[in-house]
Amino acid sequence: MTLPEFLLLLLRIWGSIGTVVVLIFLAWGIDRIDEDAQGAYVFRLLLVPGILLIWPLVLWRWWQIETERVAWFDRYRPSRRHGPAILAMSAAIVALVVIGLNARQYWPKDIVPVQLSERQ
Amino acid sequence: MSVKYIPVQWNRSKWFYDAVMLAGVLLFLAIFLFAAPGLVGHERPISAQIHNARAFGACAFVMLSIILCIGPLARLDDRFLPMLYNRRHFGVMTVFVALTHVSFILNWYFTFSPNPSEIENLLRANTSYSQIGGFPFETFGIIALICLLILAATSHDFWLKFLTPPVWKRLHYLAYLAYAALVGHVVLGILQDQRNHALTVLFLGLAFLVVALHLVVWLRERAEADAKGGAWTHVSSTKDLREGFAKIALLPTGDRVAIFLHEGKVSAISNACAHQNGPLGEGRIVDCLVTCPWHGFQYDVRTGRSPAPFTERIPTYNLRLRGDLIEVHTDPNPPGTPVDPLTLPEGAA
Repeated sequence: MTLPEFLLLLLRIWGSIGTVVVLIFLAWGIDRIDEDAQGAYVFRLLLVPGILLIWPLVLWRWWQIETERVAWFDRYRPSRRHGPAILAMSAAIVALVVIGLNARQYWPKDIVPVQLSERQ
Repeated sequence: MSVKYIPVQWNRSKWFYDAVMLAGVLLFLAIFLFAAPGLVGHERPISAQIHNARAFGACAFVMLSIILCIGPLARLDDRFLPMLYNRRHFGVMTVFVALTHVSFILNWYFTFSPNPSEIENLLRANTSYSQIGGFPFETFGIIALICLLILAATSHDFWLKFLTPPVWKRLHYLAYLAYAALVGHVVLGILQDQRNHALTVLFLGLAFLVVALHLVVWLRERAEADAKGGAWTHVSSTKDLREGFAKIALLPTGDRVAIFLHEGKVSAISNACAHQNGPLGEGRIVDCLVTCPWHGFQYDVRTGRSPAPFTERIPTYNLRLRGDLIEVHTDPNPPGTPVDPLTLPEGAA
């Protein structure tokens, strides 16, 4: 099996499980854990893509809420990891720009074009 | 307190916001496609399909850049706050623009390849991961698209409440990964083949603007937080307070506190609503109750409690007066703890 075939298989498995989670969660689970959702049905269609994409997170939170494992106080407390996220993004962007410009055959430095396949 | 979910909470300002955004997208596409093809460096003849793909791709990049600039700009200047409130709609539209870019690419480059699956063809097309020149830049695009899809798909109010604000916020840090991946996608992709450098300069300018704004605001807030050392920290002058409204202050702990002036007395509560982290400090006091501007949840500013029969609670803060400066204790009281309001001297506010 090639890597692309493996990735596609993974995608299909992920989507299949996600579909099952969508059906169970939207038909039954959501009414158990969120009073704001009771009697509201149209908005549930908007949740389908999200559940398909992050269904493990959905199951984890559903389990947390059912078992009341999160302290009330922690629910509102905002995240403070903004700084590291910004620094990581900035460093990645600067590195990618430097690497990308250095690999160009035109400006900032003009080099004789080389057939990429010949470099290998 | 319960507010039933609806698909989209429209109001007049959101209609206006979205209309301006849509007009901006159409204007950008029109300029890119018809008015300035020379600027974007189409030296060699290209098909309409490729031209369209590049237009939508460039538009998605500009949109994500603007989205990321809104946060720091709103922190630097309150006039950008209206752009912040409807940023989710901006993000969702960006995803649709990005998906249009992807569909043009798949339909043009991969439809007639040997495998029936266009995605498999895309993944097979270039596997030169060991070299920088000719690196499969599509991979960066796929990473960015997955991140953007997750962000858009979890933008409904339900997700914020369901995942809780800390988890939701961490999930939405994916915006930074998406942007870095998008920069990689562009710089190792289209920019490798640009002889006209206008697009290169515009692209780099935008990317570095995003980086600079984030770093400047982050460093500024960090310096402010460091300067406010100790258990008590000054947050406002008495003259800066306005009857019935709040002043929002950032504490060294990273929390935001809303300091309200009501009938000559000052109270402090957490700025984050217990419902979905809405900015309470932007609400108004009516009969000692502040109303969250997002969904109308109410709290007594003296106790941090919702009026009966509702049970929501938020932390309160202790205050003291030093001259005409109001100081707040950085440790929050447990949610719902009553605190005697600080009475200001005559003519102080």
